[in-house]
Amino acid sequence: MGDQSQMAAEGGIRRSTRTRERKKKKNQIPFGILAVLVVVAIGIILTHTSGTRVAFFWMLGNIFGFVLQRSRFCFTASMRDPYLTGSTSLTKAVLTAFAVTTIGFAAIKYGAFVKGLPIPGQSYVVPFGVHTMVGAFMFGIGMVIAGGCASGTLMRVGEGFGMQILSLFFFIVGSLLGAATFGWWKLTFIVRSPKVFLPDVFGWIGAVVIQLLIIALLWIAADKWAKHKNASGAH
Amino acid sequence: MSKEVELDCMGEACPVPLIKAEKALADLDVGDILIVLIDHSCAMKNVPEWAREQGHNVELEEVDDGEWEVVIEKVK
Repeated sequence: MGDQSQMAAEGGIRRSTRTRERKKKKNQIPFGILAVLVVVAIGIILTHTSGTRVAFFWMLGNIFGFVLQRSRFCFTASMRDPYLTGSTSLTKAVLTAFAVTTIGFAAIKYGAFVKGLPIPGQSYVVPFGVHTMVGAFMFGIGMVIAGGCASGTLMRVGEGFGMQILSLFFFIVGSLLGAATFGWWKLTFIVRSPKVFLPDVFGWIGAVVIQLLIIALLWIAADKWAKHKNASGAH
Repeated sequence: MSKEVELDCMGEACPVPLIKAEKALADLDVGDILIVLIDHSCAMKNVPEWAREQGHNVELEEVDDGEWEVVIEKVK
């Protein structure tokens, strides 16, 4: 960072008043190495006590969190910033991720299907209906106020952002309320709603093509939206 | 004479720093400098991005572990 502040002083924006005395930052590399060792050690312990499956989940969670933190990937911002600033760079990133996972999931599921094995992850094909919209609407409001979606909140708790520990608490409260009232939602909406698995409707290739096409159209719309917002200068 | 304004957004979650910066910058004149203090990692991305898209000069400085200053020079 020393280089950067020097650059700022020489070439960049000239700041008149303050050149605040900088605290010397702690070197974080030893902590990083220690954290990696602890994560690996817990992984090894989990392999012995709970099996490789749990250890695999543990590692996957850690890797996902790391990527999420370093990339500043934010699902909330991907939905919020188009309205707020007209920026759709994160929206496009999320859509790109959806496109990649579409192909990946289709490959895994189709692979199991052609071998005559039970298709994995089919329990996540759940009915779509009023409950989906109500939930999405509530989640949308909640995540903007809380400053992060579920994964974003967890990540920022890890970063030590105080306010989001509060978010996490109410995130748990909300989940418990959801679990407590789930029976009602299930009887009123979920059992009456249709369950759609796209390959059943369009065939395997058709499902992938249609889904990718919709994602591509959304991507183009997001790109045009950003250009439009910037051109008009308003937001 | 250009002035320098400091905007304290410590502890504020995204998107609050962005909206505050937007309002503060609107009150400034061309050539003035706005310094936004943030400690939310998300704001460290979207505040500079927004300001650059608006065409201002922007610098980001990590002043401490997990604390940043976004220096925005209003150019239009």
